[in-house]
Amino acid sequence: MSLTDLESYELLHAPSLAALVALVADRHASGLHTVLLAGGTDWLVEQESRPPLPSGVEHPVVLDVSRMPELRALEVVSGEGGDRLRVGAAVTYLELRRSAVVGERAPLLARMAADVGALQIQARGTIGGNLATASPAADGVAALAALDADVLVESVRGRRTIPFSALQTGYKTSTRAPDEVLVAVEIALPSRGAPFVWRKVAARRAQAISKVALAGVAEVEDGRVTRFGVGMASVAPVTARLPTVRALALSRPIAEIDAASVDRAVEADVSPIDDVRSTRDYRLHCAKALVRAWLRQLGARG
Amino acid sequence: MKVTLTVNGSHRELDVPPLMRLIDALRGPLGLTGTKEGCAEGECGACTVLLDGDPVCSCLVPVGQCAGRSVTTVEGLGSIDHLAPLQRMFVDHGGAQCGICTPGMLVAAEALLRRTPKPTEAEIREGLAGNLCRCTGYQRIVESVKAAAELRGDRGEGAA
Repeated sequence: MSLTDLESYELLHAPSLAALVALVADRHASGLHTVLLAGGTDWLVEQESRPPLPSGVEHPVVLDVSRMPELRALEVVSGEGGDRLRVGAAVTYLELRRSAVVGERAPLLARMAADVGALQIQARGTIGGNLATASPAADGVAALAALDADVLVESVRGRRTIPFSALQTGYKTSTRAPDEVLVAVEIALPSRGAPFVWRKVAARRAQAISKVALAGVAEVEDGRVTRFGVGMASVAPVTARLPTVRALALSRPIAEIDAASVDRAVEADVSPIDDVRSTRDYRLHCAKALVRAWLRQLGARG
Repeated sequence: MKVTLTVNGSHRELDVPPLMRLIDALRGPLGLTGTKEGCAEGECGACTVLLDGDPVCSCLVPVGQCAGRSVTTVEGLGSIDHLAPLQRMFVDHGGAQCGICTPGMLVAAEALLRRTPKPTEAEIREGLAGNLCRCTGYQRIVESVKAAAELRGDRGEGAA
């Protein structure tokens, strides 16, 4: 346990996002470690389990971003391409669950948020924290993948948007530069009442990390899928976007899609492993079953 | 670092390291030992307190993030001489066994009943899903919360 040296750390608050990114950039340029702390549900657990810092090692500076106004947006932004939902990086799962606009316009996010940890974790954990921790088991990130979210990051070089499809590069690695601060995610809102799916397979309902989780959203017109997004947790080194499944769903009238072709597509898209929570075989079985059920929900055969 | 916060309705000022865990600030300088530590990693819910009305694991909250906020611990629900309805129902219905999970259960149940004064059994179970009882007395805990909801309803104590 290293709670003792934790108590020697400083906790700073930046007066603005501009000041925050400047401080992060300065420290990064000097090779110094900076922690952006939101809900702390991962970081504090890691601190407890690591060995104490050796003497002489400089302690990281911890910046509390949990209440920074620029990271707290939760609003619908209307634009030419249609309505978009902006969720600030420091918005918690509990806030997503309780938000009327999320429940009405992006029910997948509300449904997913209800399955993260338990209330105590939902009250603290944030979307930005889930993205920054970058675990392939992250429920929140699977939902963002399904919604093809844009990730907004800011640094001293300005603000840029990273499409979800270009974000993850490998196990806990991404195209976000070390000095870029996660500001928000934005999603193109599905049409009202659009079908969605959230399925989490875990040891129990609460406080369990997913063995497999599937998030999906779709729009169907005249028997054809016109929008289709999926994200799957815990079946690959990154959150799986299932490109072959996506292509299959959009390729022909939904009623012409059969279970065997779905299974082949899933197999092409996932690479699950054996670990403490599950096995490769069980994960593959679940991944196929969940995607088949989701496509049946949209009108596919068997 | 000076941290000013409200604890069980009282204004408190602490001079503590900002990354001290809230549970350590409560049990140490604040002298409130009702909150128990179980797993120390946010899994068991024994250390649950309310932060601005919502349940959190006080083992995963740095006290520096509580500045200007309101914390409610089990001591804030009632006292030994004046048990809150929730506490009395835990006694009457056998909701407490060894006692380690009890403060967290009570606080999580308080959060539930404030927002959902007449919960269904499923809502009670979800509201307490982040709290483990290793005596495994869950059924009696659920019954205690159900009885407390009825008692609070009769007295007009409901949503805060």
